[in-house]
Amino acid sequence: MTATAVPTRRAHRRPLVGSNVFLLILTLAFLAPVAWALVSAFKPAAEIISDPLGLDLRGLTLDNFRGMFHDVPIGSGFLNTAVVLVIKGAITLFCAPLAAYAFAKYDFRGKNAIFGTVLLTLMLPTIVLIIPLLLEMKQLGWVNTYQALILPGSVDAFAIFWMRQVISAVPDELLDAARVDGCGEFGIFWRVVVPVIRPGLAGLAVLTIMNIYNDFVWPVVVASSSKMATLQVVLSTLAQNITGHKVGADYATVTGELLAASSIALVPLLILFIVLQKHFINGILAGSVKG
Amino acid sequence: MTTTTAVPLETWKSRRGYSMRRAVAPYLFVLPFIAIFLAFSVYPLLFTLRLSFTNWHGSGAAQWVGLGNYTYLLRSDAFWGSLANSGMLWLLIVPVQIVLSVIVAVLLDNAKLRLRGFYRVAFIVPFVTPLVAVAQIWIVLFDQNYGAVNGLLNLIGLPDVGWLVTSVWAKPTLALLFLWKTSGFIIIILLSGLQAIDSNVYEAASIDGANRPRQVWSITVPLLRRTIMFAVVLQTLAVFQMFAEPFVVTKGGPYNSTTTAGLYLYNHINRADLGTGAANSFLLVIIVMALSLGFVRLLRAKD
Repeated sequence: MTATAVPTRRAHRRPLVGSNVFLLILTLAFLAPVAWALVSAFKPAAEIISDPLGLDLRGLTLDNFRGMFHDVPIGSGFLNTAVVLVIKGAITLFCAPLAAYAFAKYDFRGKNAIFGTVLLTLMLPTIVLIIPLLLEMKQLGWVNTYQALILPGSVDAFAIFWMRQVISAVPDELLDAARVDGCGEFGIFWRVVVPVIRPGLAGLAVLTIMNIYNDFVWPVVVASSSKMATLQVVLSTLAQNITGHKVGADYATVTGELLAASSIALVPLLILFIVLQKHFINGILAGSVKG
Repeated sequence: MTTTTAVPLETWKSRRGYSMRRAVAPYLFVLPFIAIFLAFSVYPLLFTLRLSFTNWHGSGAAQWVGLGNYTYLLRSDAFWGSLANSGMLWLLIVPVQIVLSVIVAVLLDNAKLRLRGFYRVAFIVPFVTPLVAVAQIWIVLFDQNYGAVNGLLNLIGLPDVGWLVTSVWAKPTLALLFLWKTSGFIIIILLSGLQAIDSNVYEAASIDGANRPRQVWSITVPLLRRTIMFAVVLQTLAVFQMFAEPFVVTKGGPYNSTTTAGLYLYNHINRADLGTGAANSFLLVIIVMALSLGFVRLLRAKD
């Protein structure tokens, strides 16, 4: 490898230096806002405003975090998000591939009509369904409950669409061979299809976790009570909450606590992503090569 | 492979119960999905469709108004204004994003690039970051008086810019947020398209003496057309449905300059003007579908 790589690398040296410089500048621009927020969250609130670009290491403080924990129910926000994440995530990751398997590998009556409807809902703005869904939740008495946060959208159209793509690529011979060995239809899914599509499933898992964790429009509408508020709801109403709790809370305080809360909200997902990034990227690669 | 399995499969197929089980299985597999889909997608959708022909305001009896909501919207300047805002944002976002993402994806597709792993993660960090957090960060960064961006401008001797408070700058600032947030995902999608291209194609081209930019333009881009088309359609849907970004960052202002099609739709809902909101939803769906089909046609025609 090294023996042959040296001359080629020399030949391509200049373009690679150029690519690296270009990519480094661009990635810096991509990372800067997040890095700035993470660092600024530890600066004294007044300093974030008076000197947004400066950094005095001795002046770093946890005051913004203390104030934020005191002013908004961020702990229960995390807890609610965790409950929704685990149950909703499990429903999506089980039901979507199972249904997609039926769409990809079986012929049955109504298949095209159902799949067509799935594609139609892909084009629909999510907010379209919010009013009727909210009315439905009111009728069921589900407003401010976990069911309301979990069930709607738990098997979304995109997951079905994507998993169908992934499962279509599994060779039919593999399924028939399992049938010959006496495997039941569900057994084929569970013991043959699932292991084969694991990279795609891992990608779906990361994307699903991200979507549920980041979702905020539906939770704001259906679970706005402070007891049921998810992390993103807490975050989105933070500014009003702080000014409401503290008479005369100034711009600096609000900004400091906003940045502290934003940092706390983004760190778990960043860690998850950095740990699972290979699966996520390979999963997307597995899903879209055919498309 | 097929010939070896054909014989035992045929005998196995003749067993009793096989075809029954195989016929019933797919229905059972789609059942959990269908139940959730009917209850929480199809039912609300039909409800919205019926709502779009009434003047219902959330309580009391609904009055049938026929196509009234639709004709009202089609004659309303605010409706067309919101579409124009979204169209403008599309122009500011999609062409830049596609060109930038193709360039980055092509550079990242080089196995000799050492920091590849780092770059891939760095580009996708904004995509992973919660939108609400990003929006709050944007508000603070682009603040006219105290923001870090104006701080940087002052350092090089430029005056403050009212990023989020002037109607000239609010759209580009919002576009930048969207571009920054979603480009990582588009880069990964394009990268997946690139990996499907046979590397022999490039070898043939470099023997013919084509230089790198030329290769990219005349070989990579045409071969990548299907993936690019997918990305354009995906982003067109996303831009025309964009709601949360302007909702958190600008509330549609100043002077409605960032009232996107998605936010305008939400404004009906917020005023409990549910009939108009429902009609607006369906008009938006029709427009977005027409645009997507248009792009598909346009890119297919060149094949």
